Amino acid sequence: MPELDELESRLDALTEADFQQGLEVFRGKLKKAEASYLNSCVHCGLCASSCHYHRMDSTLENIPAHKLELISSVFKRNFTTMGRIAPGLVGAKPFDREMAKAWIDAVFGRCSLCGRCSINCTIGIALPKIFRAARAALGAMGLVPPDLQATVDNSLLHGNNMAVTKQDWVETVQWIEEELQLETGDPGAKLPLDKQGAKFLFTVNPREPKFFPLSLQASAKVFWAAKEDWTLASDGGWDLTNYGLFNCNDEQAGTITKHLVDAMARLGCKTLVIGECGHGYGAARWEGPEWLRKSYPFEVKSILELMDEYVRDGRIQLDPSKNTAPVTLHDPCNLVRHGGICEAQRRVLRKATTNFTEMTPNRVENFCCGGGGGQLAMARYKQRRIQSGGMKAEQIKASGAKVVVAPCHNCIDQLMELNKEYQLNVQIKTVAEMVAEALIPNP
Amino acid sequence: MEPLHLGVLLAGAWAILTLVFLHLNAKAYGKRTLYSKPAGDSVQGVVYAFTKGMAPWAKESVRMNLPSYAAGMVFHAGVFTAFGLLFAAIFGLELPPSLVFLARILTVGGVLGGFSLFGKRIFKPQLRGLSCPDDFVANLLSSLFVLLALTWTFSPALAGVWMSEAILLLVYAPLGKIRHCFFFFTTRYHLGAFFGRRGTFPPRA
Ligand code: SF4
Ligand code: SF4
Repeated sequence: MPELDELESRLDALTEADFQQGLEVFRGKLKKAEASYLNSCVHCGLCASSCHYHRMDSTLENIPAHKLELISSVFKRNFTTMGRIAPGLVGAKPFDREMAKAWIDAVFGRCSLCGRCSINCTIGIALPKIFRAARAALGAMGLVPPDLQATVDNSLLHGNNMAVTKQDWVETVQWIEEELQLETGDPGAKLPLDKQGAKFLFTVNPREPKFFPLSLQASAKVFWAAKEDWTLASDGGWDLTNYGLFNCNDEQAGTITKHLVDAMARLGCKTLVIGECGHGYGAARWEGPEWLRKSYPFEVKSILELMDEYVRDGRIQLDPSKNTAPVTLHDPCNLVRHGGICEAQRRVLRKATTNFTEMTPNRVENFCCGGGGGQLAMARYKQRRIQSGGMKAEQIKASGAKVVVAPCHNCIDQLMELNKEYQLNVQIKTVAEMVAEALIPNP
Repeated sequence: MEPLHLGVLLAGAWAILTLVFLHLNAKAYGKRTLYSKPAGDSVQGVVYAFTKGMAPWAKESVRMNLPSYAAGMVFHAGVFTAFGLLFAAIFGLELPPSLVFLARILTVGGVLGGFSLFGKRIFKPQLRGLSCPDDFVANLLSSLFVLLALTWTFSPALAGVWMSEAILLLVYAPLGKIRHCFFFFTTRYHLGAFFGRRGTFPPRA
């Protein structure tokens, strides 16, 4: 694997200045909350079973506290008095090549930043905050796995993470529009592009035009049924993804967020609507303003919230008998635990299906599918990703569902692989696909 | 005042002052200015984090590890009780027999909890792998402190040994992991505020 060599050779070439730079960036990421977290772990080990990596492979390296300890040992050594005076006693360690390698393995290779350990920690340490600081430090040292960085670079260079050209995007939208008109029998059914002053700017994951056009068509059908005033951007600002959330380079993440902010300003829309994507929602809704260091002059909503409102306000009518197969719901970590969007999708699914059953555990206690934290973009950790996803596969099997609804295209990619690997024999769909299926055309 | 009593008080002052210093040090890292619009209430999140969020049924990690959780709880109850006894001993407070009886039960629990966790740390390979010397020192000092408090209720002549150990414990407390006696509160506060602001805490289902 050439990439492995690239990272290895970068590790070999690290200079003292690189380590200093890494430490500086790490220190810069810490505020009083993180300083408190780094002083708090009591090594009780109770977080072990909360992590899907550890559940599927119970090695020491997969215990969240062990991953944390690698980082806090460096913190202690460099930023605390006791760590300098008695490093052996308090477990303080220097930041050297071996440690940098261990950090890469821990925070990129064994963590999807899902935050399940945070809510299960005896003390209440939000561990991903520390893992993110470590990822940022490694990034400053040129130690982000190259394929993850390439995804970020695509967004920076092409305005979307899959380097879809403007022509391809526009043609795909037009083609989906024709399909939608055929499906609804309404020549007025549109996928508006660059509609000035539209109420909503709708954004999608580039996987939709590339591989899942039916998913975009389903969202468009819902907007059509609700007679919504919406638009897509033809250029810059249609891709909701932001892998800057995963390489933890705030500057790059901010630049990618700006694509959305600029599109909102250009088109004069009131609300930015994030399609079904966990990390995309987290990045745009929660982290974007922090990266840009200013509040947005507009609202951000998930399409799940909109669909919930449509159902509640009677703007769309659903016939649940169109979806009778047993359905379960996956909770994307960035949307639910870290995003706070928890009930909207459930209310909608209960109206759109006859046989909805929860996975156990669910909501804030959900297990990551294994594809979060940029794992899908890091080929070197594929085996661990699939293995750690075994936890989700077990949950799906236990639910007895035939359809798994996942309001996130990254999760869908991972679930499709799990479907094959663990022979789950399920269909995997978005919420909008379920809703589109159940729509009763407006009179 | 007896020299040992004075020693304990001085060690206590050291512990408190050092913890205050550590807190100020952590505070000096600064507060994050947040620009995203809140979806929930951080105050409600903090309240949840310190109340229902700490209930055994609220956390899978506890539900799956009830014996360890129980050991931790009785250990901590024992430590707090031992500090109560220490206060009474230093200031010459006469405790009613019922309170002494209760203190004995709590300290017996504390001793069992403390030493069982110590054993677990030694014998469970993964927990041993997670540990540094501080983990053992902290546990040993605290467990011994509770044990000596218990023995003092039977034999006041042991006060000297107990207080000497208490001095060691108090001097050591802010230097290693026992500092979590303070940082537990700040950490849980930050966790609650974070998830409260995002509308995750308290869970709404
Ligand atoms: S954030 Fe998730 S993947 Fe990472 S250590 Fe915690 S539980 Fe495991
Ligand atoms: S549960 Fe929290 S305090 Fe205990 S070992 Fe894990 S991270 Fe540390």
